[in-house]
Amino acid sequence: MSAATLTASSTEANMRRMSPTREALRRLVKHRSAQIGMVILGFMVLIAIFAPLIAPYDPYARQLGAKRRSAPCIHLLGCPADQPQHIFGIDSNSRDLFSRVLFGSRLSLQVGFATITFAILIGGLIGALSAYAGGWVDNILMRSMDVLMAFPSLLLAIAIVAVLGTGLINALLAIGIVSIPRYARLVRSTVLQVRDLEYVQASRALGAGGLHVLFLRILPNAITPLIVQGTLGIAGAIIDAAALSFLGLGAEPPRPEWGLMLGEEKNSVFNAPHLVFFPGLAIMLTVLSFNLLGDGLRDALDPRLRGSNA
Amino acid sequence: MVLSLLLAACQPQATAPAEPTAAPTTAPEPTKAPEPTKAPEATPTEAAPAYEPMKVEAPSCDYGGEFKSIEAVDELTVKFTLCYPDPAFLSKVAFNVFSIADKDYLDQMGGDSVKMSDNPNGTGPYKVASWTRGDNVTFEANPDYWGEKAKEKTVIFRWSEQSAQRLLELQSGNVDGIDNPAPEDFETIQNDSTLALYPRDPLNIFYVGFNVDLPPFNNEKVRQAFAQAIDRQRIVDEYLPVGSIVANVFVPPALKPGYSNTPAYYSYNKDAAKALLTEAGFDFNQEVTLSFRNVVRSYLATPDKVAQEIQAQLAEIGVKVKLEEVESTAFIDATSAGEKAFYLLGWGADYPDATNFYDYHFANDANKQFGTLFPDIADPIRAAAKIADPAERQKLYDQANAALKEHVPMIPISHAVSAIAFKAGEEGVAASPLNNEKFGVISNGTGKIVWMQNGEPAALWCSDETDGETLRACLQVWEPLYDYKVGSVEVEPALAESYTVNADATEWVFKLRPGVKFHNGAALDANDVVATFVSQWDAKDPNHKGRTGTFEYFGAFFGKFLNGE
Repeated sequence: MSAATLTASSTEANMRRMSPTREALRRLVKHRSAQIGMVILGFMVLIAIFAPLIAPYDPYARQLGAKRRSAPCIHLLGCPADQPQHIFGIDSNSRDLFSRVLFGSRLSLQVGFATITFAILIGGLIGALSAYAGGWVDNILMRSMDVLMAFPSLLLAIAIVAVLGTGLINALLAIGIVSIPRYARLVRSTVLQVRDLEYVQASRALGAGGLHVLFLRILPNAITPLIVQGTLGIAGAIIDAAALSFLGLGAEPPRPEWGLMLGEEKNSVFNAPHLVFFPGLAIMLTVLSFNLLGDGLRDALDPRLRGSNA
Repeated sequence: MVLSLLLAACQPQATAPAEPTAAPTTAPEPTKAPEPTKAPEATPTEAAPAYEPMKVEAPSCDYGGEFKSIEAVDELTVKFTLCYPDPAFLSKVAFNVFSIADKDYLDQMGGDSVKMSDNPNGTGPYKVASWTRGDNVTFEANPDYWGEKAKEKTVIFRWSEQSAQRLLELQSGNVDGIDNPAPEDFETIQNDSTLALYPRDPLNIFYVGFNVDLPPFNNEKVRQAFAQAIDRQRIVDEYLPVGSIVANVFVPPALKPGYSNTPAYYSYNKDAAKALLTEAGFDFNQEVTLSFRNVVRSYLATPDKVAQEIQAQLAEIGVKVKLEEVESTAFIDATSAGEKAFYLLGWGADYPDATNFYDYHFANDANKQFGTLFPDIADPIRAAAKIADPAERQKLYDQANAALKEHVPMIPISHAVSAIAFKAGEEGVAASPLNNEKFGVISNGTGKIVWMQNGEPAALWCSDETDGETLRACLQVWEPLYDYKVGSVEVEPALAESYTVNADATEWVFKLRPGVKFHNGAALDANDVVATFVSQWDAKDPNHKGRTGTFEYFGAFFGKFLNGE
């Protein structure tokens, strides 16, 4: 095959893909729930990036003058000006809760992206290999994915953490591992659908090797569903990570992780509710933003709509 | 009827007792003659065969324990002969691990705590009606109790680890009383006119322990530096309930002899600590692990928060600390096996004597939690336990405390107040400094008291138990020879009416209370006392079974077992 045809065909492909992409983006921006999701998420991302600038205090530093577990003190809302301002109050170890919640956004977002990227990479590879190879390879890989899926995901994550030992990295690995099957199946089904289509056969007839066909001709078809599933998956991963930390299996104190903050203060629900309210609210907002965005993406990237456009 | 039962049982040919259902737990089996002591109370003299007093004696005192012999002198007199003087003996036997069980019952159950928990047979004001594992234990009043009968017919024990849940149950009226409300909730309870808070005196110690054999804490200077780097006053002020005090030595001030005012403990000094660490060649790049268990105990309600506080305090002088939360039982096993180098732990008094604090920790070869024992700490402690004169004992304890300060096997942090909370208006409620609340004296007029504590009892026969949640349940059902007065650390007669002791505190003779009956109707006699103690003391006794078989408290109080390895 000559280099010229390759470039020509790929630019052609690009041009063909450009318009649906732009079309999808346009639909996404117009989508109401996606708009809300993007606004919240953008806000969270900004907070995460600029946390050291926004946070009034070091999230690890004890505020020696402040009373432990004291309620929020906001000057605008009538808190005496001679008291230092603590927007979210003081936590059980005399630290500024606001700063901790801000820094928590870094962890949670990182956790979400890292685990899902991990799961998509591994899961995608397994799914593609499985579908492309077929036969006993397919059988073995998919049955093991079935086994993974048969476990309640949080329970499996707990079991994995129990084996690896507690810690944020191990919790990430655990959540990543339990998320793999979803992506493996998704990619496999896409590959199976496309594998025998004419353009793939044509590519093969032109002498393209197996990997070339798989990665350049087939897998691009899986990107859209993966984006949708991945965005929703991030929300799940953040919740799972918070749950593991809540149970004391994830992040270790004194790290400002939202789930851990909730877990440490579960006995404060009645006597110092702000200690659980703000971290809980932060988790809720972040997860909500990913869910809304995921919904919007699904509508915008609906393969049927795209199919009709093409 | 009972007489006929007995007569039937006495004849080997008899096929069955006249009324097999009459006394289910004690119905003598027709195939074997009943023990002489099982004579029912109705016919104490005429039907009972001759009383055969038991006596168990150690061949010599070389086996390493405290008891020389335990002997039933007559039916209602029991005599303990000790290998060395023990001025705290009465306080020790008043601890409810040494409650008395019926000999025949003990034989029947083989001393197995699990079996005995299914069918407890004590002498106390309450009997066990049911134990629904994982949910509740229900006690009902013993109508034949020898003393003042229980005020309310039923007592129910429930449990929850979460202090918020316990408080919620109390506020909503589902329970009458709760154990260990969170210190943050003290104010809420005090401000609520429908609730009442009963603080417990601080008869405990919370400390930071070191294993002096494990690096980097095998360097005495490092330990001394840590002692100066931890702001104990701040921990007490910020994390403990009002009324808690900073510890100067390992025992609380109430225990005299034992407590020492001087020398004053290291004061908080970050710079000195840092300089000392540098001098000791401490590697500031390493991460030291601070282990703790996250359970509420009377000496410390919030271990995880205090662990983080210590972590933050040490971070200020550049020491990196990693926190390691360990499951409660595993943590205790690991520390006492000497596996943890740096940990948070505490101790609540079992009986109000300094020996209960010092001996178990610093003069106990079986306890490896601090690593190798220091002779200049252990020797005065051992010597003090065998002297009756308070002034002499105090001198020895002063020596031990000075050595404890120098070697720093642990940093004493605090003596903490804890509390129980009840609905207002329930009469007779009293918090026990020993965490041993009795429910027979409480009245609320409803016929039922519901109590919610931190955890489920592990058993309902406590000879082989150490957990306060378990001991409190046993306390309602079983009784020792002497017992602690309600809400106090003073002892009063219980199953024994009186005692006499010789001048050097090596011979203790107890006169048992006549007419005391076990829940199954059997009468208490001196053989029951001997059998109960021997089942713990003698490792070869068929009833030496318990639950785990370690009989930790017996070992801690009375040294080695007879016929042990």
